[in-house]
Amino acid sequence: MIIAGVVLLLLALFGAPLFAVIAAAAMLRFYRADIDLSVVPIEIYRIAETPVLLAIPLFTFAGYLVSESRAPTRLVYLTRALLGWMPGGFAIIALIACAMFTAFNGASGVTIIALGALLYPALKEGGYSDKFSLGLVTTSGSLGVLFAPALPLILYGVIAQQQGLGRSFTIDQLFLAGILPCLLMLFMLSVWSVWQNRGQPLHPFSTREALRALRGAAWEIPLPIIVLGGIYSGYLAVSEAAAATALYVIIVEVFIYREIPFTSLPRIMRESMILVGAIMVILGASMASTNALIDAQVPTRIFAVLREHITNPFTFLALLNVFLLFLGTMLDIFSALVIMVPLLLPIAIGYGIDPVHLGVIFLANMQLGYFTPPVGMDLFLSSFRFEKSIIEVYRATLPFFFILLVAVIIITYWPALSLTLPGR
Amino acid sequence: METRPEPAAHRGLMARLDRVVVAVENTLIVVLLSVMILLAGGQILLRNLWDMSISWGDPFLRVSVLWIGLFGAMAAARHDKHIRINVLQHFVPTRVADISRMITDLFAALVCGMISYHAVHLVIMEKSTGGHAFGNVPSWVCELIIPVGFAVMALRFLLSFLMLLTGARTTAIQEQESP
Repeated sequence: MIIAGVVLLLLALFGAPLFAVIAAAAMLRFYRADIDLSVVPIEIYRIAETPVLLAIPLFTFAGYLVSESRAPTRLVYLTRALLGWMPGGFAIIALIACAMFTAFNGASGVTIIALGALLYPALKEGGYSDKFSLGLVTTSGSLGVLFAPALPLILYGVIAQQQGLGRSFTIDQLFLAGILPCLLMLFMLSVWSVWQNRGQPLHPFSTREALRALRGAAWEIPLPIIVLGGIYSGYLAVSEAAAATALYVIIVEVFIYREIPFTSLPRIMRESMILVGAIMVILGASMASTNALIDAQVPTRIFAVLREHITNPFTFLALLNVFLLFLGTMLDIFSALVIMVPLLLPIAIGYGIDPVHLGVIFLANMQLGYFTPPVGMDLFLSSFRFEKSIIEVYRATLPFFFILLVAVIIITYWPALSLTLPGR
Repeated sequence: METRPEPAAHRGLMARLDRVVVAVENTLIVVLLSVMILLAGGQILLRNLWDMSISWGDPFLRVSVLWIGLFGAMAAARHDKHIRINVLQHFVPTRVADISRMITDLFAALVCGMISYHAVHLVIMEKSTGGHAFGNVPSWVCELIIPVGFAVMALRFLLSFLMLLTGARTTAIQEQESP
């Protein structure tokens, strides 16, 4: 069994598709437990029995569609007209725009490609140093994973609910829980940006320009209101909000702004569904392997061993952070979720940690993992996109990394920050 | 991707078959996603404006998620877009990367083949018990995409393995193609 595990790990490290590795691990377990392997397709079929998953293809498609339109330009123009008068204002604009954009595209690196490419030259033009601009843009690539309706949040909710643990929660609660921690990150980064750029030339506030920007984005401004308002008011279920978003985005980008020709829709649909497919098979395989893990009482055993050495939840949380940060540099957020949540959740609950809080900690660490040197994915993406050496990107990102590290520590040890809004 | 000249190992009957599968797959993704968006949107309007809903709508949408997910996964296998950890491949020479990719592709083909095989059993079993997923639609029809989807993925991973084996493709070229 140990040999098989090592072989599977090696296969994964040498680039085997992760879903195949997870499925193989599950089949191995079932085979050894003398359980008929047709249980694997039965578990995969559970994808069709989980209503909230409908949100994943619909939000992903909407996100791809928005990325292809000129919405990023309008978003930057709008926030600039509204906030450009503040010292460091443009940096704050960049942060807010990226966070909102990432919430919609689920931190798949699209933010750096679509928005970063727009913001980086604009920041430099606005008088910000090259190093600061590069660091900011790289950091912002994963900055909205805690804002609804980011896919990682939904996925965490789905996986945690599969476990059927005592302390249940809804995805709406998770959406609420992410707000304050994400605002904390935005706030800390903003303070630093303002302080770092004291004495920058300002962009005077002009009512005319603000009105023009508002009119320009008039059709996109209601989007966050539909999504967030619909979900938080309880008027729309998450999957319904996703349907409304997809429909609304098609109407706005294709028929009103006419920036995406109708004939491009099939291509955008196909491209977005490739990402959905990649996530779904991992999810399906993990549904089978979760069962195998639980049948073998793996989480219970790990907890028993941990409990002997670590009695204090605070120590556990510190270890968890180190572990997750490391994990986040190695695995993309989706695989990390499906592989680790079934293992970590029962252990964390054993230490008395709220599953909603665990979700926020998990995603906050993953967010940081995207640009943790030396192998965070966004570092390579940024180096590639902006034609900078990877060392330059490391140096530019480091101050931002430490600021967010402090934010993650605050989020970890101050549960009320995550749990007050959902009222837990 | 589609305009790329086809490599030698990709011609003949296999290639024709693959083209048909690709065309069917592409059409179904677009049709199914469009239906999903319209139906899910329509359900909201029906519920809020007339306080009614299509009874088969929600179960149909749930099954559609599985189907579109597996269509997407089939496409991901074709475009080499499945999620992998690519840590070691960055640091080894192309030849080693090619060999490791051959091994992992063969492994993926094997796993997909096994899932497909057991899914066929499940479908046959379900057909004989004759349960219904919703309305008059039998459960086994809804499950059909699992054996089909994983069989197609198994063939695509196998094809990728064969192309690497015969030198029709290397991982080096592949990295240039998909930036």
